[in-house]
Amino acid sequence: MDAVSVNPVSDGTLHVVLRGEIDFTKSAWVRKVICDAVIEQRPSAVRVEMAEVAFLDSSGIGVLVEVMRAAWEVNAAFQVERPTARVYDQLRTAGLLAAFGLT
Amino acid sequence: MEPHRDYLSRLADIDAKVERARVDPEVVLGRAAGLLAGRTGCRVDEAHAHLLRLAAERGDDPGETAADVLEALEDCTPQKPDRLGSLTETALRPPPPAGRRSSPGSFPSSGPAAPSGVPSVVSGWADIVQQVLDAVPGRHIVLMPVRDRNGRIEDYTFAAASPSVVDLSGRRGTQIVGRRVSETYPTLVNGPIWEAWGESIADGLSREVGPVPYASPAERAPVDVTLTVRVRPVGLGLLNSWVRHDEEDRLAERIAQTEQLGNLGWGEWDLLTGKIVWSEGLYRIYERDPAEGPLPSEESDALTVPEDIPLRQQAVEIFGRGETVDVSYRIRVGDRIKHIRTIVDAVRDTDGRPVKVYGIVQDVTARETSRVRLAEVEQQLREHQRSLAAEHRLTVQLQQIVLPIPAAPFDLPGLRAAVRYLPAETASRVGGDWYHAAAADDGSVVLAVGDVAGHGLQAAAVMAQLRHALAALSVTTTSDPAALLTHLNQLLYAGRSAADLMPLTATAVVARYDPPTGTLVWAQAGHPAPLRARAGVTTELDRPEGALLGAFPEVRYGTAAATVVPGDLLLFYTDGLIEHRDRTLEEGLAPVLVTLNRLSGERNQQPLAELLAQLRHANPDDDACILAVRPLPVASDPGGDDG
Repeated sequence: MDAVSVNPVSDGTLHVVLRGEIDFTKSAWVRKVICDAVIEQRPSAVRVEMAEVAFLDSSGIGVLVEVMRAAWEVNAAFQVERPTARVYDQLRTAGLLAAFGLT
Repeated sequence: MEPHRDYLSRLADIDAKVERARVDPEVVLGRAAGLLAGRTGCRVDEAHAHLLRLAAERGDDPGETAADVLEALEDCTPQKPDRLGSLTETALRPPPPAGRRSSPGSFPSSGPAAPSGVPSVVSGWADIVQQVLDAVPGRHIVLMPVRDRNGRIEDYTFAAASPSVVDLSGRRGTQIVGRRVSETYPTLVNGPIWEAWGESIADGLSREVGPVPYASPAERAPVDVTLTVRVRPVGLGLLNSWVRHDEEDRLAERIAQTEQLGNLGWGEWDLLTGKIVWSEGLYRIYERDPAEGPLPSEESDALTVPEDIPLRQQAVEIFGRGETVDVSYRIRVGDRIKHIRTIVDAVRDTDGRPVKVYGIVQDVTARETSRVRLAEVEQQLREHQRSLAAEHRLTVQLQQIVLPIPAAPFDLPGLRAAVRYLPAETASRVGGDWYHAAAADDGSVVLAVGDVAGHGLQAAAVMAQLRHALAALSVTTTSDPAALLTHLNQLLYAGRSAADLMPLTATAVVARYDPPTGTLVWAQAGHPAPLRARAGVTTELDRPEGALLGAFPEVRYGTAAATVVPGDLLLFYTDGLIEHRDRTLEEGLAPVLVTLNRLSGERNQQPLAELLAQLRHANPDDDACILAVRPLPVASDPGGDDG
């Protein structure tokens, strides 16, 4: 399974699924895949499914921030869904819960 | 005499080609280098370089210098044709007629010294036939009829056999000479071959029998073998040439398989008849329909790619010297370039003139292509490694310039501080962790650690930016931690460019220590809270709100306050210290807490040095930066030595 899959816009929402470890080795590529889709398809909402992400390093958090900003650029809502407890802790430490719709 | 004239004209063509190749400067140089190397015992490339140097010294053309050298070297050797002549003469002298293999004495099993009923003139004739069979290729057997008193043929004896004859039960031809056919191969008696022998003796004509199935009496013989026997009356006996069909098939099949497996082909050019023969494999290599026949040699020569024509020229020159040619060059077949290795040799007459030229051709394109690709990949790899190593060097240098790590604890107003940087084990992961510990303009002390997302040069550059900005701002503008983080966030957010490959975010914690009151005011941007250890108990300070740097255009950073007293240990760290992909953050933090608890609970004279020495990386993939401080007693007590 790829670390990222992007499902085409349905009902205006772009569904992104992340899996495994999103770290320094993959962040540039994952970011490009998602941001390109956001810019091309101009959805009204971007949802990032995180249930299968086991680990996120600082680059991985940076990827989520970049996707959030890309969504804002096209006036789309941004939502991170079902992070594991571990990832939820990381996002809380980073001060991103509110911006990611997790509060 | 038409064929002979054709042969001479083909020879003349070859000579002309060889002559043209011989004067080719590259070839001359190659020959001279080879000869020189042979005479002096040095390497050919050394000889080659020497000739080039020599030519340069003489201000001469390398080809001419080489020609001079060749002339000098070749003159002092005895004339080759003479030596060749005497050699061939010796080689062709008939061997002494003594000690024939067919002499009955060497076959104890064959009974009496001479087979009964065979006159001595016959054994003399058989000796001569045996000598002939010893010399000619192929597998032949000569039989002599054995007649009864009435002159009727009752049996045959083996009078001579080719040395290469091995019968189906493994007996060599020389072992059956002198024996009777009826004893050795009883199944042949009165069979079709037996009949043919009688008929040929009677009418003196050759005949062919077969293919006939052969049934051997021996257990070791293979089954299902068919034979064709060619019977020719010769002198007093019968010459039999045996062809085993299965073997012929097997041989042909084996050659075809070998050709296919090895991408091989062979060709023959008979200079006497002018006939060219190509094997199936050769047609495959030249992608030519066998129905069209072999390509004339001028046409196949013309397929050579222009850059490789000198190689062919050298090959022609070598051929002209009577040596076996082994040359690799490229040909264009259709729209593809093929790498061909060709081995060419000739059957020559006594004067050394070629009579038949034959060549084995191998298509080595796949090997060449993968060799070239491999070299390319290796080159890329080397370049990549070079650039990686260069980047790593640069990153480390940059870090040392921007972030010099003090080797020993150092004092600030009211505090003693110590820093440790744990670099990532993987070179490319060295990155963006930083610290700051310095007195501000207003008498307070500003303490900070930060972590730029990502690794490598870009992260190190951002780290430098943030650290210098913090140092400048804390002296010129403010020592308020929340205000400082607000500035850093603006800096990072505005400095971000779409061209950046990596996301640009960073985390940091900034604190201001007020020495007179012992108060620590701090703020954080997405960063783990500092740890305070007091009398064996470590607590994580309560975090005020604050998102990571570079994510949002405006962030509100809250501040929190805590007191620190002498004897406390305060630890600022980046997540490389505790973060590991296989452990929770709590699990990663646990060993740090244990160390802090222990050191703050005992009366240690050098708690900072001990602390930094004992902390270990949680994650070798990430770098980590640790800043540890302890308040110094205000009074005369100077504290420990480290301390």
